[in-house]
Parts: sequence; structure tokens; C-alpha cells
Amino acid sequence: MTHQLKDGGQVLNVGMLARVEGEGGMHIEIKDRQVVDVKLNIFEPPRFYEGFLRGRKYTEPPDITARICGICPVAYQSASTEAMETICGITTTPEIQLMRRLLYCGEWIESHALHIFMLHAPDFLGYESVLEMAKDHPDVVNMALRLKKAGNDLMELVGGRAIHPVNVKVGGFYRMPTVSELEALRPALEQGVEDSFAAVQLVAGFDFPEMEQDYTYVSLRHPDWYPLERGTEVVASDGVRFPVAEIPQRIEEFHVQHSHALHARFDGGTYFVGPLARYSNNFDQLSPRCQEAALKAGLGETCRNPFKSIIVRTVELAYAFEEAVRIIDQWRDGHAPSVPTAPRAGEGVGASEAPRGTIWHRYRIDADGVIQDAQIVPPTSQNQASIEADLRLAAQQWVDLDDHMLTHRCEEAIRNYDPCISCATHFLDLRVKRTTSAEQP
Amino acid sequence: MTATTPRRPDVILIGLGQPDRGDDAVGPAIVARVRARHGDHLTVVTREDPTALVQVWDGHRAAVVADAVVSGAPPGAVSVTRAGAADPPLPTHAFTASGRGGSHAFGVAGAVELARVLGTLPQVVVIVGVEAASFAHGPMSPQVEDAIDDAVATVEAELTAALRLAPTTDTHAEVEPCA
Repeated sequence: MTHQLKDGGQVLNVGMLARVEGEGGMHIEIKDRQVVDVKLNIFEPPRFYEGFLRGRKYTEPPDITARICGICPVAYQSASTEAMETICGITTTPEIQLMRRLLYCGEWIESHALHIFMLHAPDFLGYESVLEMAKDHPDVVNMALRLKKAGNDLMELVGGRAIHPVNVKVGGFYRMPTVSELEALRPALEQGVEDSFAAVQLVAGFDFPEMEQDYTYVSLRHPDWYPLERGTEVVASDGVRFPVAEIPQRIEEFHVQHSHALHARFDGGTYFVGPLARYSNNFDQLSPRCQEAALKAGLGETCRNPFKSIIVRTVELAYAFEEAVRIIDQWRDGHAPSVPTAPRAGEGVGASEAPRGTIWHRYRIDADGVIQDAQIVPPTSQNQASIEADLRLAAQQWVDLDDHMLTHRCEEAIRNYDPCISCATHFLDLRVKRTTSAEQP
Repeated sequence: MTATTPRRPDVILIGLGQPDRGDDAVGPAIVARVRARHGDHLTVVTREDPTALVQVWDGHRAAVVADAVVSGAPPGAVSVTRAGAADPPLPTHAFTASGRGGSHAFGVAGAVELARVLGTLPQVVVIVGVEAASFAHGPMSPQVEDAIDDAVATVEAELTAALRLAPTTDTHAEVEPCA
């Protein structure tokens, strides 16, 4: 909707941004064909999870923080368990780590499949929503539903529930799935491998706007595999690398007036977490088949075009299916579901790679295991500044488009992030205001 | 699935909602009550994610969905919405575009209409809704708790009608545990 302002400018108002999780607001102001202001307004009241956690036992964050998000609860559980285990000096078994990785594969599969096909693909195929897309591409949508169901089933088996899993605890799991239970999922997962590799080729054929950003890519890294449930260090595309424990010293949260969610800067500057960063910082850790598929899809070993995040996400989808099958292949019954735990006073950090990027938790607990302080930093919060940077670049690059097309292009730029705004917000109200010098009061 | 998949002419009861999220728990609570009384004759499932509907009711001739709804009615009000293949389309835009309809902006109306396009929508779909007061973490509100008896009776009446429509020789017992 376009409104004429008294000063002669224009406001384009998209009352709600479709196909994102949650609600927020976006204001873009253009003067003399120059973008002069971009704000991502997050106006949902704070949810106080960090406050709720104070005074609770060190064993409770995996269950409490999993309720923050219905799409990425495993990310919260993994970061919180790692933080608590680090503080308390708890060493889990390789099998527990393997099962955590399998659970994380389930989350990536369901989240990526939903976003790639149901929320993001309509942008590239020219549909308002997946409903319209399904009329012309029923096979793609059926495949998407199949893939998502495979992820949900994996989450349900390993996590105890498809949404807000309940089987995770500090020290491991309450119950390990059996070989026979896991084998029952194998056909759908093996089909998922093939479907998702075919999907890489499908999305590679989309038409991508030319746009590149140069902000610092930050992600976890692990010496042995592509980062999901944990990493041994944080790496940045500018060559900086440091242990997970040092994240709070390198990433600074700060408040901006137009958002209820804290912004963040890395070493003082704008940075990006998410599939593009993960991929670009860890291309060598992808499987050979994923690497080959990515290169065949036209990606380099790094990707700087936010619109091509759909290809990267699909490569990661294929990787998650591959990993799930690999883990099931080597799983044997009889492993202890958890190791003993006991509290120890201290402070520590845990981090994992949520579908949308690095999430990290910091806790301080006393000798009785009571939480004294908690800090939870999800990826969409960290990416607010880079979302604004993308919006600024996109609005400037396509400033001559009519208001409808410019607004749509800006919405696409936001959806590139698969933002999980509900971790901090609701509704996205997109406004573009155009003025000229002559029209200023 | 595609339209060529053999269809099982039976009836499925689906409780939709998240048990931790206040009144969103009412769907699973209703079907738990019905399962205890009629589980031998029905497929009874619970799901938390609306997108699961598109597949879970595929192949069934009739589906009854129990869910919490927000329509502006007083909390606890029980409503019935018919959304089967022969019924008019639901207004999906508000559900699919607002982000309020379910995880990642995909709600029940979106699931119904997507199933209609993909050919998985049962001939009979009845959504038995209970007007919610709150979806905050915690227990159900008293008004919604008090409405469960009425909702169960409504679900049973709809199931009775649906079972008469579906060939009884093909009904089977298949009770899944709550998610």
C-alpha cells in the first residue's frame, strides 16, 4: 500500500511480511534517490528468558530454553548443555555427542526444508505463497513435505517430540533410541539424500539478483566435521579464530532505540552468522558429494550473494540427510544415555549452529548449581545489523524500481535470512519512505 | 502423496496443538479423552505442527481435527468448521501470511488449502475448535478446561456422522501415542 505524505514523500506499507517466522517492522527512507535510513524495528516486548533462568538449577536450561523457539529448539538445548558441561567439567561420551548430532540433523532437515520450499522458493518462482506454487509444482511441494516429515520423525524419535524436544539433558539424554527404531527411519532418510541433491540442482536454476555483501562471516568450526551441534572454535572470514569460551569477549551486544532485541557487533563491526558464513568458513568439511553438488550448482567455495543462500541451505539439507544416514549406519545398542553430573561453581559458554546461524549461551552458576547469570544470543539477533545492511544495499541498488517491486525485493532480501524473528519479535511492517530535497519542510 | 495413492476409506481423529502452550493444549486433551473411549475404532493421532496435516490425513475419507482457535468468541466457545474437499475454500491469506497461523507462518487453513491443491484433502474435514484465551506457557485457562466436555461431545457427534459415511469394514484400530 502506498501513502502520500504531507511533505511529498511516499511510504510503502506492507502490513505483514509473509513467509517469515515472527513479526517485526522495517522502515526504509529514501531522499533524492539515496537511501538515508534503514531500521529493523523489533517491537515485541522482551521475553525475559535470561531473567527467568536466574535462580533455576543448572540442569533446567535445556528444557526451559527449548521453549524459546518451535523451529530451532535443539539449537538452544545444544548450546545450554555444552555451556553447563563446560562449567561443571562434565565429559560426555562420543556416542552421546553422536546422538546430539543426529538430533541436530533432524532440526536442520525440518527447518531447512520448510524454508527452502515453502517460504523461500515462491520468491524465485514468482508466487505469492506455496499454495499458488503447489498448483504448478505439486511434485516439488510433495517432496518438501516428505523431506520435512523425515526431519520431524527424526526429532520425534531422538528428541521425544518433534517440537520442543524433551529427551535432552545436561550430561546426555534420558533415553537412547534403538537400532531398530533408527532403522525404521532409514528409507525416508536415504530418499531424503537423493531428493535433496536433486533439489540443489532445482534451486540452482533459479534466477538470482546480482548483489554481494562484504561483512565478516562468523561461524563455528570443528576439526573433524561441518559444524552443527558444536564446534571447537569460532572462525571469521577475516582470519580471526578463537575458542568458543572467548565469544563474550569478542561479540558485544548493545541496545538500539528502534529494536527490543539487542544488536551485536564482532570486533566492533557488522558481522553475519548463518548458512552463508558456515558454508564459506567450512566448505572443506562438507562431504565430497556436497562439495561437488555445490560447485555444480554454480557456487564457489565462498558465497557472498545473500539471494543464493537458498542454494547453500539446500546443500546443507543434503549434508544433514547424509549425516543422519551415516550416524545410523554406525549406531549400536547398549550405549549409556548419559553420564553422571554434579554442579561446580563457574562461568562458561556453549555454542551451536542453529539453522539460521551461530547461537551461544553464557551461564554463571554457584557451587550448588544455581544459575546466577544467563545470556542467550540467537542468530537472528546477531544478524539484525547485516539485515539492515542488506536492505540498505538492496534499496539503493534497485531504487528506480516502482514502489511495489522495490518493496517486494526488500522483502526477499529479508527472507534470505530465514529470520526467526519470533525469538524476539512478531509482525514485520515494511515501510519505504521517499522524499526529495524540494519536498522537505 | 499423489492422487494415485490408494485411499483408505476410514476416519482419523487429529488433536493439534502444543501441550506446553496454555490453551493450545486443548486439541491433544480432547483427543486423549476420545481415544480412551473409542480408540479401538479409530485412528487417533496428535500433532504439533499444522503442516503435518497435509500428509497425516492423506488416504482417509474423513478427518476430525480438534484445535484451539482464535475468532473473537468468548474463551471456551466450541465451534465447528467444515473444510472438506466438497466445502468452500478457507480464507488462507490471514493464516499463511501473518505468521500467526503456526510455525513459520503456516497454519491450519494453509494446511487445508495446500492439501486441497495436492489432492490429499479428505472428503470430510471437520475442525472442532475451542476458543482460546492464551497461548502463553503454562496450563490451560479455566474457561477452556471447562469446555472440554462440550468439545468431546461435539467431536464424538462428528465422528459418528463421519463413521456412517465411511465403510465400516475398512475402519481399523491404530492408536499412536501423543507426540
